[in-house]
Amino acid sequence: MDVSYLAVAPEILLLTGAVLVLMIDVFARPRARVHAWLAALCYLAAAGAVVGQWRRVNVDGGSLSFGETVLLAQHTVALRGILLVAAALGTLAAWPMLAGLGRRAAEGVALVLVAAAGFSLMSVSVNLVLLFVALEIGSIALYVLCGIVRDSPAGDEAAVKYFLLGAFASAIFIYGGALVFAGTGEMGLPGVSAFLGSTVVLRPAVILIGLGLLVVGMSFKVTAAPFHSWAPDVYQGAPAGAVGFMAAVAKVGGFAALLNILFLGFGRYQEAWADGIAVLAAASVAVGTLLAIVQTDVRRMLAYSGVAHAGFILTGMTAGLAGMGGVVFYLGAYSVMAVGAFAAAAAVSGDPPQGPAVDTFAFYRGLGRRSPWVAGVLSLLLIGLSGMPLTSGFIGKFEVFRAAWNGGFRWLVIVGLLASVAAFFYYLRLIVLMYFGSADDEDGPPPEYPSAPVRWALSAAAAITIGLGVFPDRLLSLLG
Amino acid sequence: MDFPVLSALIALPAASAIVIMFLPERRSEIVRPLGIVLSLLPVGLSGFLLWGFQRGEAGFQFVERVGWIDRLGVSWHLGVDGISLLLVALTSLLVTVSLGASTSVTHRLRLFTAMILLLEAGLIGVFLSLDLFLFFVFFEVILIPMAFIIGVWGSENRVYAAVKFFLYTALGSALMLAGIISLAFIHQNQLGAIGFSYVDMLNLELGTETQRWLFGAFALAFAIKVPIFPLHTWLPDAHVQAPTAGSVLLAGVLLKLGTYGLLRFALPLFPEAAVDFAPLMATLAVIGIIYGAAVAIAQKDLKKLVAYSSVSHLGFIVLGTFALTSQGLSGSVIQMVNHGLTTGALFLLVGLLYDRRHTKLIADFGGVAQGAPVMAGMFLFMSFASIGLPGLNGFVGEFLILIGSYASLPAFAVVAAAGVILAAVYLLWAYERVFTGEASLPANREVRDLSAGEILLFAPLVAVIIFLGVYPKPALEVIEPSTRAVLERVEEAADYVSPEPVVEFLTGER
Repeated sequence: MDVSYLAVAPEILLLTGAVLVLMIDVFARPRARVHAWLAALCYLAAAGAVVGQWRRVNVDGGSLSFGETVLLAQHTVALRGILLVAAALGTLAAWPMLAGLGRRAAEGVALVLVAAAGFSLMSVSVNLVLLFVALEIGSIALYVLCGIVRDSPAGDEAAVKYFLLGAFASAIFIYGGALVFAGTGEMGLPGVSAFLGSTVVLRPAVILIGLGLLVVGMSFKVTAAPFHSWAPDVYQGAPAGAVGFMAAVAKVGGFAALLNILFLGFGRYQEAWADGIAVLAAASVAVGTLLAIVQTDVRRMLAYSGVAHAGFILTGMTAGLAGMGGVVFYLGAYSVMAVGAFAAAAAVSGDPPQGPAVDTFAFYRGLGRRSPWVAGVLSLLLIGLSGMPLTSGFIGKFEVFRAAWNGGFRWLVIVGLLASVAAFFYYLRLIVLMYFGSADDEDGPPPEYPSAPVRWALSAAAAITIGLGVFPDRLLSLLG
Repeated sequence: MDFPVLSALIALPAASAIVIMFLPERRSEIVRPLGIVLSLLPVGLSGFLLWGFQRGEAGFQFVERVGWIDRLGVSWHLGVDGISLLLVALTSLLVTVSLGASTSVTHRLRLFTAMILLLEAGLIGVFLSLDLFLFFVFFEVILIPMAFIIGVWGSENRVYAAVKFFLYTALGSALMLAGIISLAFIHQNQLGAIGFSYVDMLNLELGTETQRWLFGAFALAFAIKVPIFPLHTWLPDAHVQAPTAGSVLLAGVLLKLGTYGLLRFALPLFPEAAVDFAPLMATLAVIGIIYGAAVAIAQKDLKKLVAYSSVSHLGFIVLGTFALTSQGLSGSVIQMVNHGLTTGALFLLVGLLYDRRHTKLIADFGGVAQGAPVMAGMFLFMSFASIGLPGLNGFVGEFLILIGSYASLPAFAVVAAAGVILAAVYLLWAYERVFTGEASLPANREVRDLSAGEILLFAPLVAVIIFLGVYPKPALEVIEPSTRAVLERVEEAADYVSPEPVVEFLTGER
């Protein structure tokens, strides 16, 4: 077996960090701050490892290790890097919530690190069994994180819902894996690809059904319609600070898996799956956009917007390998913006004490005056999410639309463009509330100024959104 | 390398906006003067452009090109020609004027000034871009400051108007984006690499069917912006709700993005389709001329009256464009500038009246001239310019457009000419009801006249209006080579022969 510790170094570092946090907590009971520094150290070390891998991949090309289960290639390493950035920002944004756990802060930090490790492993796994294991490592940590705040019935409800539906999705995924194995005799995606390349499959039904189930399982994770219905409920009930982290890492990990399954394993069946993915994309774009318009809760609105964004990413995937660069770019852009937007939402509306059934839009009335900094950053992120030029959101959309247009899915591009216009409506709605109110709206007390880690996370998200929007060339050409 | 004037024209207002935004709160008293001073820098630069521009040349001048997103073949590619030169100058002038006219804005002044300057950067960027990607970026980015200007500083129904404006225009540009993407692919197939350069795109060979689709996508986006009847419904809302500065820039410059886009992109890039669609566009233009004028006559609200007059005037510009004659095209360009000056000034006057009387209803006024003779005179002057009185700028533009369209579409020109008369009806009738007669209310008698500072705002507008009216030759020397190049391109690519103007009509010879 070809063991390459460098290939899984980020996961090793993150998991070591998680164990250390728990152990130190047991023996030394330090203040929460110590855990934060430890987590930061883990992220930095993991990021260093990713940079090392990136150099190596660019010099030596892609490589498989651990018996063809872990693939280091440009796109997997890039996705892993994106995942780590999103996870680190998400952890920063979640810090007030984690620190607020008091004695249980170590648990929270450890869960965050485990989740990051799981989804990070997912982005480089090219074996269905390893994928499943990585998916479960990450997902289970997220289920617990979702319900980590005690005395929060909403959080408990969200955690149970997330767990049940997530477990259901995992079961579908693994059943799909079993069918693929039945049809091809392979669990590894390179093996599946080789099998499909060398064998004429007269009755591909079993393989195609298996593939379909794999896609459905992952669609739950990436909140593609019609498998999205858990997301608004979970994001609304989960602790406000952690939502950005949860949304970003699960989406990056899930899409990385979809990319590897579809492009690497089933690239030869592109004609068969492209139409299905296109339908999934159109459904997600339409459902996400239309339902986001009618929401009265900011987190639900952002959740539905996430459904629409999943649709845009799927739009790029219909083009196959030609869409890879755009899809990876879009994931990077979206995950950062989503972490930032959820962090800002947590800073403004937080977890309403009255429970989740409150119109959180009201918190944003006149925010432009009461808290110009938060309102400014949030507006910028919303403008980015809506896909205005000079933000990363525009370049991402441009790239996926370009790929889909070239791939022949012009109707899908038109659907996407029209949905983008409709999407302006709900992003604008928040901006309108923050700025366009009358002067007496602005008299309310300013919301609490977000704490330093949240400010860093917001600043970084805004800087990345603008930076990638104005100078996308570096990243785009890196992605080939 | 020479000093990058065109980049500076975009970067200066953008940088000024950022400076203003980050001024400390306690220095709020310097925001207004600083904004005006900073807005004079682009005015100076466009003066330099006017001075340095080689008249009689058709091509782009002051061209700058730097790679931006190499992987997509996008470059920071700027240039100015006869079509865009005067519009750039107009933009910088109107921005200074509208900042100077915004003394009634006190709420969130820093944000206001910054938004106006950002808008200026975007507008100038649209006129200067020679890369379709860059053009789209500016075209779209403009929506944000404009929506803010309407939505934050507008009157009661501002949010509705701002959102309507935003969504309406965004819908148009989304379809244009699809058009731009597919052009980029045709570029890739024919020239080997993806790219968005306008100059390269002129060399693409497009099939008739493709041209029609693309023309449709582009023309729809621009038609919404102009706005061409029946896509004009956002305009009255936006104008009536916008603050004075917003109305001035909306009417003065923003609407021109549509007519400019038609002339710069829709015609030269898709000449065959443009010839095919010309009758349809001209029909809509003429409907707009008459409809806008008729609705303007019926308005009770002075600001709405001026807004609908824009629909009518912009109809002339579209008619001139799709007449596809040299005179028509030149007339359109100069009329874009004229309309910006006169309608901008009219909106300014309506705004000043509103600041004094807090009403825009025509019925509330009467006899204002008694207390404010200078203001009344200014209104009359601007009305004359707008109607097209010989000796003032409007005459030059409308005359050229009517001559140009008479040559190719005589029936349309005849109907459109009625629009000139209707313009006299609604503007002079409005003048009569607002300014003349006995003051029905004491408040109307006591309306404060224009102050020295306000007269100073109008002075450059009046000067340019008279200059263009009396001596349009330099302006036409700038415009004509470029419009003739557009026309030659259309003739060549579409096997179309532009009719000569009817000389006997001018000279009386038969």
